[in-house]
Amino acid sequence: MSFFSDSYHLFIRWMKKLVRNPILVFFSLFQPIIFLVLFTQLFSKFGSLIGPGVSYTVFATAGIVLQNAFSSAFQSGTSVVDDIKSGFLTKMLATPVNRSAILFGRILSDMFRVAVQTIIILALAYVLGVYPQTGVLGYVLVILTVGFSGLAWSGISLALGLKTKSGETVFGIAGFLTFPLLFMSTALVNPTSMPPWMQTVSSYNPISFAVNAIRSLIMPPPHCIICTNVFDWSTILQAYGVIALIGVVTLGATLYLFRKVVS
Amino acid sequence: MTGIIDVSQLAKTYGDGTKAVKGISFNVSEGEFFGFLGPNGAGKSTTIKILTTLLRKTSGSASVAGFDVDSDGAKIRKIIGVQNQDTVVDEDLTGRENMTLQGELQQMHGQALNERVDELLKIVDLVDAADKRAGFYSGGMKKRLDLATTLVHDPKILFLDEPTTGLDPQSRAAIWAYLKRLNEQGITIFITTQYLEEVDRLCRRLAIVDLGEIVAQGTPSELKQEIGADSISLGFENSTMNGGDTRSKAKELLEKKFDGISNIVNSDIGLTVYAKNGGFLVPEIVRAFDDAKIGLSSIGVSSPTLDDVFLKHTGKRIRVEEVSSANYRGMFSRRRR
Ligand SMILES: Nc1ncnc2c1ncn2[C@@H]1O[C@H](COP(=O)(O)OP(=O)(O)OP(=O)(O)O)[C@@H](O)[C@H]1O
Ligand SMILES: [Mg+2]
Repeated sequence: MSFFSDSYHLFIRWMKKLVRNPILVFFSLFQPIIFLVLFTQLFSKFGSLIGPGVSYTVFATAGIVLQNAFSSAFQSGTSVVDDIKSGFLTKMLATPVNRSAILFGRILSDMFRVAVQTIIILALAYVLGVYPQTGVLGYVLVILTVGFSGLAWSGISLALGLKTKSGETVFGIAGFLTFPLLFMSTALVNPTSMPPWMQTVSSYNPISFAVNAIRSLIMPPPHCIICTNVFDWSTILQAYGVIALIGVVTLGATLYLFRKVVS
Repeated sequence: MTGIIDVSQLAKTYGDGTKAVKGISFNVSEGEFFGFLGPNGAGKSTTIKILTTLLRKTSGSASVAGFDVDSDGAKIRKIIGVQNQDTVVDEDLTGRENMTLQGELQQMHGQALNERVDELLKIVDLVDAADKRAGFYSGGMKKRLDLATTLVHDPKILFLDEPTTGLDPQSRAAIWAYLKRLNEQGITIFITTQYLEEVDRLCRRLAIVDLGEIVAQGTPSELKQEIGADSISLGFENSTMNGGDTRSKAKELLEKKFDGISNIVNSDIGLTVYAKNGGFLVPEIVRAFDDAKIGLSSIGVSSPTLDDVFLKHTGKRIRVEEVSSANYRGMFSRRRR
């Protein structure tokens, strides 16, 4: 099957492009790192609102790693628009390359990139004294959860890119969506400190599901950082359910739009 | 039909209603060097895109190596090399990486692929720049790299859409020489270009398209013989005289006074007159124009060239976008689509 080898070669292409344009990585890592290092200091009092002895840095780390998935994944659509505009897509289409592999290679690279960036943020968090209380398996699950969230989000950005064929539009919509979605979720604040209507929004916000799962691994319930290994599987599986649902919808739309562009 | 490329009544109407190709028929036999010429907007790129399975036809039929372009696209893509009109390379990858990737997408790998890439790098003269990012290449280097990427998998048929436009004369000559060699090795070449001299020398057959229709096809010598006359090119000092158009005045005069003129067409500088025994006619034309006070800035006679063939069938001279090596880099980014 050329699907796997083609996906692999195109994955490598994207990784090379990324490494040679470090500014892109810088852009998507800059915000989460500023949040982790500065904002958590600014809002340090929030910790005690969440529970006695809770550090806000520990609390917010879950939201911050997810924010990084969000901002990187949104670059996906713009790069595919670039390939359409430059004619590189056309050039590939004149070869026997497996059509789906063109998309899959890109999505794979998004996932991998988000995972690596998550590791960087988690390393920094470790220096600040934050680490998953659930140990190595916790780390692995956090990275996987963020990686898969990135995949689902990159589906949105790819679909937007393929539909509008405009990098600016993708960027604009991404910027427009990021903050409301992030702040009206459990990413950075405890829902109990939100007005009731926002609590409702937050409870349906897909970001909340992923954040809750990550948070349960970093600081297992109930809000306690000294508890021993507790895996809250129902929260984790819920998150994977939501991510899978979003993934199927956005990647399905992407595949559909891509087929239209390709034929 | 038995050609390696068979096209019959092929038509393409774009979504916005533009009838880019209006029922053309031709065939190219295996091993042929086939030129596909025409003025801007004639439908050349549209035809190439259909033959290379990048665009769906509206009607008619087209097959490449016996495979139908609609139903057997995958089989066609394995045996063709395609260079589009706009140069496309990945600027973040090195020249070598660009070529290797194309080979990989053609299911090549390992030692065979590496050797092939090295060989092609030599041929397109990019050995020294092979490991530099293509973003740092000049326009001409990118064009050569683009051509090389289409050759990695040893295609049976090459489709080239203006492969030498924008190259300096030296690289152009090198590319044409290489294409000639490829063709001698048995590769069929389907090419659009604006360089008629090279077409005359290398293409075994050619077709001229204008406004989506084929207006002439045959071997270069057949087409030149068809003109059956020398061409006299006249340049006028002024484009208007006595409140009228110099061209039409001159035309009137020529038609009235001279026999043996087979055709008169407008050219950029004035008129081109086709006549037998052009050499004898020149002094008479000069005298007649003198009497009529039509100022001539230049006059020249030549036996027919493909330029004349082109002019006769399309009413236009082919416009070669000459570029000096100093500015071809800039010009490429601004090329029309
Ligand atoms: N995607 C498109 N949608 C609508 N019209 C198009 C499209 N592509 C090309 N055309 C039109 O179809 C006609 C033929 O275009 P084509 O690109 O095939 O010409 P060409 O012979 O390659 O010209 P050139 O020498 O300028 O490259 C032109 O009138 C052009 O404007
Ligand atoms: Mg063209």
